[in-house]
Amino acid sequence: MKWSETRMALHLWNRGHWRDYVFSQGMLFVASLLLVFFISIGLGVQNLLDRFLSSDLPAEQVRVTPAGMQAGFFQTETGGIEITEEVMQELQGSPIVGRVDPQIYAHVPALLKGLLGGQPYYTDITMEGVTGEFLGDSILRDIDWSYTLADSASRYLPIILSENLLLLYNAAFAESNDLIGLTPEGVLGTECTVTIGRSSIAQMELAPVTVRARIEATSRNMNLFAIGVPFEFVDQVNGMYLPGDERRYSALVITAKRAEDVPEIVRMVEEKGLRAETRRGIAQKAEILVGAVTAALSALAAAILLSALSSAIHTLVMDLKNRRFALGVLMALGTPYRRLAMIFAFQIFFMSALTMVLGAALGCLLAWGASSALLSLSPVLRAAVTSLAVFPVGWLAAGIGLMLVTSTGFAYAFFGRILGTPVTRLLRP
Amino acid sequence: MDGIIRARGIQRSFNEIQVLSGLDLDVRQGEFLAIVGRSGVGKSTLLAILGTHDLDHGGTLSIAGIDTKELSSSDLARLRREYLGFVFQDFHLLPELTAMENVILPAVFSGRDLGKARERAGEVLSRLSIRADETPTTLLSRGERQRVAVARGLVNGPSVLLADEPSASLDMESEQTLFNLLDELRREQDFALLAVIHSRAVLDRADRVLELREGALHEVV
Repeated sequence: MKWSETRMALHLWNRGHWRDYVFSQGMLFVASLLLVFFISIGLGVQNLLDRFLSSDLPAEQVRVTPAGMQAGFFQTETGGIEITEEVMQELQGSPIVGRVDPQIYAHVPALLKGLLGGQPYYTDITMEGVTGEFLGDSILRDIDWSYTLADSASRYLPIILSENLLLLYNAAFAESNDLIGLTPEGVLGTECTVTIGRSSIAQMELAPVTVRARIEATSRNMNLFAIGVPFEFVDQVNGMYLPGDERRYSALVITAKRAEDVPEIVRMVEEKGLRAETRRGIAQKAEILVGAVTAALSALAAAILLSALSSAIHTLVMDLKNRRFALGVLMALGTPYRRLAMIFAFQIFFMSALTMVLGAALGCLLAWGASSALLSLSPVLRAAVTSLAVFPVGWLAAGIGLMLVTSTGFAYAFFGRILGTPVTRLLRP
Repeated sequence: MDGIIRARGIQRSFNEIQVLSGLDLDVRQGEFLAIVGRSGVGKSTLLAILGTHDLDHGGTLSIAGIDTKELSSSDLARLRREYLGFVFQDFHLLPELTAMENVILPAVFSGRDLGKARERAGEVLSRLSIRADETPTTLLSRGERQRVAVARGLVNGPSVLLADEPSASLDMESEQTLFNLLDELRREQDFALLAVIHSRAVLDRADRVLELREGALHEVV
C-alpha cells in the first residue's frame, strides 16, 4: 500500500472521528508528560535529600560527641558537657582503637571580616579545631592542615567552612538582605581576616590578634557547625587567652584498628554517656528519610503510571468500540485484514508512540523549566544541587515503553476480538 | 451459463428455530435471480450466508468453485473483494463520508489504483444519478443513499451482486431507472444479480424467481 493510499485510508477512516482521536492521543500525551515530569522531579528531590543527608565519615571511624546539644558557646543543660582529657585517654588506651583525633572549640570570641561580592562584611564566629582525620584525605590532599600563630606572617589560616553554615547564610541572611547566594565551589579561595579575643559582643582582657585566613575547603559533615581550623591553632589560642582552663574536647574522631570493631567502640562510648555516630548509623537515618521520600515518590509515579495506563487503554479501546460498525462494513466489503491491521498499527501504535515520545520530551522540558525556576528562586537549593530534575533516560524510556506496549497491547487484543467477530454481529445496530 | 454460487444443504437456526433447513441453490453467471418470501422467512439470512458474512451455518457453499468452509479470514476477505458485491437492506454507508468516498472505500482499503477507482465510482454514481460532491451521505435522501449503496456494491466489478431489497426505498420511476441500469451493467459486465425483491414490476425482469418458504427455495413459475 502506497503512502498516498494509506493517507487516504486514514483520512477516510478518521472522518468525523478526529476529535475523539485527538482526544485519545491527547490523553496519552498528557499521561506520558506527567509520568516523565514527576519521575524527573521526584528523583531530583531524592537527589537533593541525599545530598543534604550524606556523610563523609569513613566506615572505620566513630565520631564521639557529648550527649547534649552544643554549638560553640551554646550548650543544653543536660549532658551538654565537653569531653575531658581523661575520657579521651581511656578511649585511646583501648586495644581495638587505632587512634583518636580530637576536636576542640575555641573558648575565645572571634570576628571574621572580608569582602563579599565587593561589599565589606563582618561576623562573629565560633571556631572549632579539627584534625585531618575529621576532614578525610580527599579534602586535605592539597591543603597544609597545620597552623599556629607563628605562621601568621607567612601563611593564611586555612579554613574549612561547614556547608551547613552556607545553607543558613543562603536561606536566611542572603535571602532577607537580597544578597547573592553562595555555592560551596563559589566560596573556595575567599580571603578574609580573623580576629581572636574580640567579637562584636565580647572582648578578652588580652589584646586581640588578627590573622589572614582563606577558605580552603567546605564540608558536608553534619557535625561541623562552625568554622573549622587546625586543631593546634585553637589549642594555642585557648591556652593563650584562658591559661587556667582544663582542655576539653568538643568531639573525638576514633579510628578503629578494624572496621568490624566499630560496634564495640560504639558500645564503649555510649557506656560513658557520650554519643557515638558511625557512617552506618548516619546512613541508616538518611536511608529512612530518603526511603520514605522514595516510597512516596514511587507510589506517586505508580499511581500516575496506572491512571495514565488505564486512561490510555480506555480511550484507545473506546475509540475502537465506537468503530465496530465501520470495521464491520469494511470487513463485509472484503477489506484485507492486514490492511486493517496496518491502519491500526499506524493509527494506534505508531501515532501513540510518537505522541508519548513528544509528551515525554515536553515532560522533560517542563521538569527542567521547573527545576531552573526553583533553583533561581532559592539560593539554598542552588547551593545544594545543580538541577532539581534528573533524567534517567533508560528508566524513562522503559516507563514510556511499558505504557505504549501495555495500552496498545490491550487495544490490539480488543481489535483482534473485533476482527474475530462475525460481520453480521458487527453490523447489527 | 457457469454456476458462480453453489449452495448445498444450507441450514441455519437461531435459538433452536430453524430458519433455513437444507437449502440448495445454484446461481449462474450473468443471471438475475429474484428471491421472494414473507417477512422474517430468512431472506436476509440467506443473503448474509451467500455473502460469507454469516459463517455459522450448516451445509456447503462454494463461490467461483471455492469452498468457503475451508477458507481463512483473509482468504474469505479476498473472496468477498474479488467475486461479491453487496447491497445491504439498511445500506450500511459510513455516515461521515460523501457518496464518492463511500463508493471508493473498498478500493481505498484494498490498495487498488485510486485514480481508476474514482473514475469508475464517478461513472457508476453518474449513471445512478448521484452527484459526486462533498455532501455527507447523512444529508442524502433514503433513495439516494440506496443508490450509493448499489454503486458501492458494483464498484469492484463483482461476479455476483447480492442485494437485499435494493429498491425498497425508491418510487416506481426510480426503481425502474435503477433496474434498467443494473440490466445494462449486467450485460456489460456479465455479473449475476441475486436480489430480494418485493416489487411485482421488477420480478418480471428476473430470469428466475425463487420463493423462500419453510427453510427452502421453491421455483416460482
